[in-house]
Amino acid sequence: MMKIEAIIQPSRFESVKDALLEIGIEGMTVIEVRGHGRQKGHTEVYRGREYTVDLLPKIKIELVLADQLVNRAVETILKTAKTGKIGDGKIFLTRVEEAIRIRNEERGESAL
Amino acid sequence: MEESVTPLSVLGPQCDAQRERIKKLFESGASAQETLRQLCELADGTIRKVFGELQQVRSESAQGLSLLALGGYGREVLFPYSDLDLLFLFANEKIEEESRPLIAEFSRMLWDLGFRVSSAGRTIDECKKIEQDNAEFHLAMLDRRFLDGDKSLFEKLDTKVLSVAEKQARPFLLVELQRLTRDRLGRYGNTIFHLEPNVKDAPGGLRDFHSTLWMRQLAGDRRDPRFSPVNEDELTRNAVEFLSAIRCFLHYSNGRNDNTLTYELQAQAAERSLGIDDNLRRNAAEWMRLYFRHARTLNRQLLRYTEQRAQVAVSLRQRLLAATIGARSEAPTNRLFNVRDGLLEIANEQAYADRNTTYELLAEAAKTGVPLSRDAERSIAYIMAHPELPQRNSRIGWPVLSEILNADYPGVALRPMHRLGLLVEALPEFRSIDSLVVRDFYHRYTVDEHSLRTIEHLQDLGDSSDSLGKHFAPIWKTVDRRDLLILSLLLHDVGKGMPVENHVTGSLQALEIASDRLKLTPEEKAEVHFLIEHHLDMSATVQRRDIFDPATVSGFAATVTTHERLQRLCLMTYADIHAVNPEALTPWKAEMLWQLFVATSNHFSRTADRDRVHASDEAVLLEQVRQLVGGAAKSDVERFLEGFPRRYMAAHSPAEIASHFALYRKLGSEPVQTDVKKTHHAFTLTLLSADRPALFATIAGALAAWGMNIVKADAFANAAGVVLDTFHFVDMHKTLEMNPDEVARFQQSVGDVVNGKQPLEPMLKGRLAAGMARPPKVAVATSINFDDGSSDHSTLVEVVTQDRPGLLYGIGSALARLGCNIDVALIDTEGQKAIDVFYLTSQGKKLLPQKQELLKEVLQGTLS
Repeated sequence: MMKIEAIIQPSRFESVKDALLEIGIEGMTVIEVRGHGRQKGHTEVYRGREYTVDLLPKIKIELVLADQLVNRAVETILKTAKTGKIGDGKIFLTRVEEAIRIRNEERGESAL
Repeated sequence: MEESVTPLSVLGPQCDAQRERIKKLFESGASAQETLRQLCELADGTIRKVFGELQQVRSESAQGLSLLALGGYGREVLFPYSDLDLLFLFANEKIEEESRPLIAEFSRMLWDLGFRVSSAGRTIDECKKIEQDNAEFHLAMLDRRFLDGDKSLFEKLDTKVLSVAEKQARPFLLVELQRLTRDRLGRYGNTIFHLEPNVKDAPGGLRDFHSTLWMRQLAGDRRDPRFSPVNEDELTRNAVEFLSAIRCFLHYSNGRNDNTLTYELQAQAAERSLGIDDNLRRNAAEWMRLYFRHARTLNRQLLRYTEQRAQVAVSLRQRLLAATIGARSEAPTNRLFNVRDGLLEIANEQAYADRNTTYELLAEAAKTGVPLSRDAERSIAYIMAHPELPQRNSRIGWPVLSEILNADYPGVALRPMHRLGLLVEALPEFRSIDSLVVRDFYHRYTVDEHSLRTIEHLQDLGDSSDSLGKHFAPIWKTVDRRDLLILSLLLHDVGKGMPVENHVTGSLQALEIASDRLKLTPEEKAEVHFLIEHHLDMSATVQRRDIFDPATVSGFAATVTTHERLQRLCLMTYADIHAVNPEALTPWKAEMLWQLFVATSNHFSRTADRDRVHASDEAVLLEQVRQLVGGAAKSDVERFLEGFPRRYMAAHSPAEIASHFALYRKLGSEPVQTDVKKTHHAFTLTLLSADRPALFATIAGALAAWGMNIVKADAFANAAGVVLDTFHFVDMHKTLEMNPDEVARFQQSVGDVVNGKQPLEPMLKGRLAAGMARPPKVAVATSINFDDGSSDHSTLVEVVTQDRPGLLYGIGSALARLGCNIDVALIDTEGQKAIDVFYLTSQGKKLLPQKQELLKEVLQGTLS
């Protein structure tokens, strides 16, 4: 099992979610986050006051998937989250040792 | 013969069989009351049997130990999976010590028999003391009932010990009960209108009823004389039976003490017409409306007792009848309202005979933020429930409603208006969402509750700025035409209760009807229409578009068209998301919304001269203007409109443009044309003239000389060099308001100053000195920023500074002295902050860097 953490542009979230649903991936955790990589923030002046937006709003999607689904999910995210501009985000993959469904204590891939 | 305890193997199946029988009885249609009674009897019988047998087996005396039922069980109300609250009462500590093994075995047996025992033990001496940190125990003791054991010990407790102790503790218990009640209601957002309510603890739940009983008991049961007890008791009885039936159903359905009426169980309850005697089939939403009606009865009753007032000897009906008759001959009093204990009341009850006075009371509440007293609400409710009582002026018009909606605290008036039925009287379209449950994963409240909460979230911006609201508070405090924004919020979701596919379509249909009835002007209707139609746009843009992409901002700005509209739409979006549920507006979303607002607002102020009107492309507007002025030549209208910034058209309705055109046509006979109109809380001066040096500064100076405070202004020029300046100002000294004849003299004076017939300086002298003497309430730091990139042919300068009399005159004069021509001016104020944006040219070109430096220096000198 692998955990996919994808940090994407908020504007791409709906498309990514729909595309993942289309390939049969229904379970995901979505978190509103702020941060930046190479895409630095900017300063905006509004009515005489400066507002520095150094941490930009992003959406983080977390998925834990059986190994055979991981590549497809990553490709889907890449395809749908990409705008080609700086700030499109990143995908991180980590191995997951165990998954347990709280309701019935099922374990392993069947708990996903 | 040796005594023995009936074994669990015998008792257990007996209890289970009895429980099953009672469950079937309930499912076959027995009332909740009957079901609860039988469950209580089962518990009573089992407890007495087990307790008695254990005492016999252990050869323990029944003297000195008494077993009591407390709380709900004490009231003989026992739900299928509720706890059994028991008290072991001991004559002394010795008996308490000796009884421990018996109590342990007794409790174990009851648990094994499927009863959830929650027990406490006290000696009779301990019961004399009031435990300050355990009010809940003392409240449960109010419902004590003898079960088994030493009856004389219980009677001693009841008649000698507690009769004294409880009497002394009444004030403490009442305060504690009110505190516990406030905390409980607060946990549920102080509303009965939850989509998945907890029928025990949420406002309107059974706990409200029990708390009411305790409060009545503690307060000496002062019944309010203005309600018929029979009617009230019947309503209460029905509500308690309905909610008890639901709670039984929930316990049986969940197999545990879970009192949440989920969507799934709502559907099942509606399917079996739970709690309803008639045979009408109802869907879940209709059935839930019955739930809310009953919950409202219990909640209203509780709230009445939480603010109990002195009893009045004469019935309200008698007083109102007398007042109505008396009102015909007696002169009305000037003091209509009183504030007592922080609540608003009508001082003169004769006034209730006139619905206009009721609305004045509500407008007062909306202006001051002081809520109506329960007494005032009850009086209004009584009149509304008795149409035979004579009433004057029962119909509400837009001016009255608008006054309420435009105030700082509209929610303080709208909430009681909704409770009393006055809101649907004023706005019948709201009825379609009354107590309406629309199921989704996000909303926590019924649609009417959601709508009222949007308004309350906005009014909260006026008093406190938490981290979510800090950016939006200044917008709320300064936004124009709040009445239209609040009307939009009241109507934005009414389509959810209409048989239409898209609720926005329904809401717009409702607006059509409402605007005709209320007689909104076409401009007012258009604004509300826009806000309802686009109320999801800003949220959708924030969530589905890249708000840092200039194209997104530009596209969004094209939809919104004006800064004023942007302010209203932003507040509407903020409130709409906030009222979905307490967690819906995250700091992340609030920040995104704010970013889009700032970007769009800046887009407006930085692109004001970018898009110009090409009159030949505006066939529809041309025709509208021609018709409005009674058939002018098309070429004249084209000449007038040609070259104005598009913002001019966005900021003004066709009717306003037509009136400007009418002034334009008179320029031949008089080179300066003015028009003054009274708007909601201000005046508007429109001035047309051929461009001339220092024109903007001169007009601003003339206004300052008359003591007018400019709150907003814009200046545009068309291709032919005709300048159209609009100044919105507040008449600080009420010169024009108190003396309508002065308007003509004021117009003449402004015209003379602009034409150079009247010198400005002498007029300004005294006025500016007086204004300067007053220290500002809030200090605003001055900032002056230049922007050469936003416009192709002008330099933008944004001046943010402390607002003061004559400020615009000072800035305008400085610009004129340095030879700066104002192409476009956008003037705004936020409280004591002035925000002035000028598009400047010098000799037809952008300002050179040296000139910018010099201008900055001069302006800093002027503003210091």
